[in-house]
Amino acid sequence: MRPNLYSFSWKEVRRSSSFGRSVATTIMLVFLALYFTLVFLSLGVFVIPKVLADKFPGEDMARYLLIYFAFDLVTRQLLQNLPTLSFKSFIIQNIRRKQIARYLLVRSLLHFFNLLPFFMIIPLFFRIVVPGHSAIAAAAWLAGIVFLILSNHFLSTYLKWWINESSWGFYVFAAVFCGLYAINFFGIVSLTGLFGQLLDAMMSYPVIAVGLAALPVFFYWLNQRFLVANLYLNLVEHKQRDSNVRDFSWMSRLGDYGKFISLDVRMIWRNKRPRTQFMLTILFLAYGFLIYRDVDKGIPEGIFIIGGLLMTGMFTISIGQFFPAWHSRYFSMLMTQNFKMKQFLQAFYYLNVVVSFVYFLVTLAYGFIDVRIIYFNTALFFYHIGVNMNLIFLFGSGSKKAVDLGGSAVFNYQGMGAAQWLIAFPLIFGPIIVFYLFKWMTDSIPALMLMGSIGILGIILQPQLFNYFAKIYNYNKHRMIRDYKNS
Amino acid sequence: MIEIVTLIKAYQKEIVLNISELKIEKGELFGLVGNNGAGKTTLFNLILDLIVPSKGHVVSQGITVQESEDWKAFTGAFIDESFTIGYLTPDEYFTFIGDLREMNKSDLELHLTAFDEFFNGEIRGKKKFIRDLSKGNQKKVGIAAAMMGRPEVVILDEPFANLDPSSQYKLRSLLKKQAAEQGTTFLISGHTLDNITEVCNRIVILEKGKIVKDVPKTETTLKELENFFAGVKEAESFVLD
Repeated sequence: MRPNLYSFSWKEVRRSSSFGRSVATTIMLVFLALYFTLVFLSLGVFVIPKVLADKFPGEDMARYLLIYFAFDLVTRQLLQNLPTLSFKSFIIQNIRRKQIARYLLVRSLLHFFNLLPFFMIIPLFFRIVVPGHSAIAAAAWLAGIVFLILSNHFLSTYLKWWINESSWGFYVFAAVFCGLYAINFFGIVSLTGLFGQLLDAMMSYPVIAVGLAALPVFFYWLNQRFLVANLYLNLVEHKQRDSNVRDFSWMSRLGDYGKFISLDVRMIWRNKRPRTQFMLTILFLAYGFLIYRDVDKGIPEGIFIIGGLLMTGMFTISIGQFFPAWHSRYFSMLMTQNFKMKQFLQAFYYLNVVVSFVYFLVTLAYGFIDVRIIYFNTALFFYHIGVNMNLIFLFGSGSKKAVDLGGSAVFNYQGMGAAQWLIAFPLIFGPIIVFYLFKWMTDSIPALMLMGSIGILGIILQPQLFNYFAKIYNYNKHRMIRDYKNS
Repeated sequence: MIEIVTLIKAYQKEIVLNISELKIEKGELFGLVGNNGAGKTTLFNLILDLIVPSKGHVVSQGITVQESEDWKAFTGAFIDESFTIGYLTPDEYFTFIGDLREMNKSDLELHLTAFDEFFNGEIRGKKKFIRDLSKGNQKKVGIAAAMMGRPEVVILDEPFANLDPSSQYKLRSLLKKQAAEQGTTFLISGHTLDNITEVCNRIVILEKGKIVKDVPKTETTLKELENFFAGVKEAESFVLD
């Protein structure tokens, strides 16, 4: 009997460790999935029909779908994983490469990104397309949209292979994308208009929908051709090329902590997961452009707190939530070495102080939008170093799960436990509560000064706190070694 | 000198290690053999304070390892690949460990030059991360680092496994040389009986967590060991009949 490959994939999902992940993570994931489902549903049911009717009466919705698909393509580039999981065990068996390729590709279709748009498309279909069109025309429209979603899926997969292979692939992708956007924006060729016309034509001549089916088939074929030709072990395991080993040895000279700071820096820079997380924190510095917006009478103070906290402290929040599990794979080795736990903690502390300080300086530029941002960010920077940093160490002492350094950074729940979710509350809501409490007692500016003072108090007490943390980390050492081994 | 008195490690009442008394003298080349699951790694982990004993403690050079961290200054160890750091190059790793052992550059260079033959030109000066090395080469990095900084006690768990035959010969002489020159106490475990009997001057057999044989090495030790392990197997198959 021929074994069915798809039954393996079901078992793989069922029996993977992430399926049995902690309750907190499951709840959070379900919550996120529900949230996005509701957002898309409300977009389809209320928002888009209303906006179309109010702002663009008589205009065609179809042309805006191109913008949606473009956005979808970019999101997929960033967040969708390549379908390479677990083909290793199949390639030496008596299974044709083509069959494995087909299995990997079909399997990849089962993705939240392919389900999500339907929550928006189906209501739109019934509210806007079905009334006033014949059944055949409406069916052609829906079929066309499905084909487009599928082709987006396979196109983004193929692009990702290609981008992975060459170092400049990403820049070509970005350049082509921006180029097309510019062409459309400056009205040289109205791509959105053409796309709208295509969809309209499709409703008059449903045959075009059948033609559109060629698109996903073509992209699928490209993927399959690539996979059949490249289905070797090195497809996913990229070995470091000799030339790009960056040397950080100068950091070792930074006194007693130098050797651990350079270890931390190398850990972040040379491993996929921490490096991507670090890169995202840099991207996050642009968050201010999103949230610093006038609402009625100026920007609300709560936004300043959120913005200042997240932008100056994102490095600590993102990297620190897994401290010290980043070092989990060789933790027992570290524990046989002759150094004081305090040094190890201090090194991570100073790394965070330096990075947060740089981020703080960058965010001061937002002062051009509103000068109050400078006051808020200064107070929050001190609060962050003095209080939040210590919360990170406190939570870190309860670290339980080992972290795989090689995994991807987004949507990766390996190494996540309840602690990683819980820590967000004191880190983010703590300063908000503190600020509003002080503001209620006094006023905004004194509240900020008080917040900064709490932070400075924490910084002054740091030596004592380090002694305390070193003690509890040492006390938890055996438990951490055991938990890391078991996870 | 390492002293162990009534050391017990149990997981949910299943005893995996139970040693009533064990004394390892300074400068001894102590060989630990036993089948899988006999408790060899457990014993080493206890001596390195990586797991907590259910009962008893280990005293290394007068320091109780369960109470003080001072043993770290004179102990080197390599248990498995997790004792290396995958994202460092071997040279960076040696520098890192050398720093922790307070070695200066020339000490480090001197130490590693002795390993040149063992490394076979595949380890040093290469811009390659440890995670991209073969299993055997990763092991070589770990062993060389464990012997760094003139430690008084070196613990190596199955150092000969995964090594090619010529590397095994070279490692034998490296271990003997360091023991002779620096008076290092070596604790070595393994399955390849000829390597262990060749290097060590005292052999202990662990079986199901207990010491069943403790002998100084003589001309006939290898033969006796082979008989012992083969005998266990024969007896079992005999029972089946």
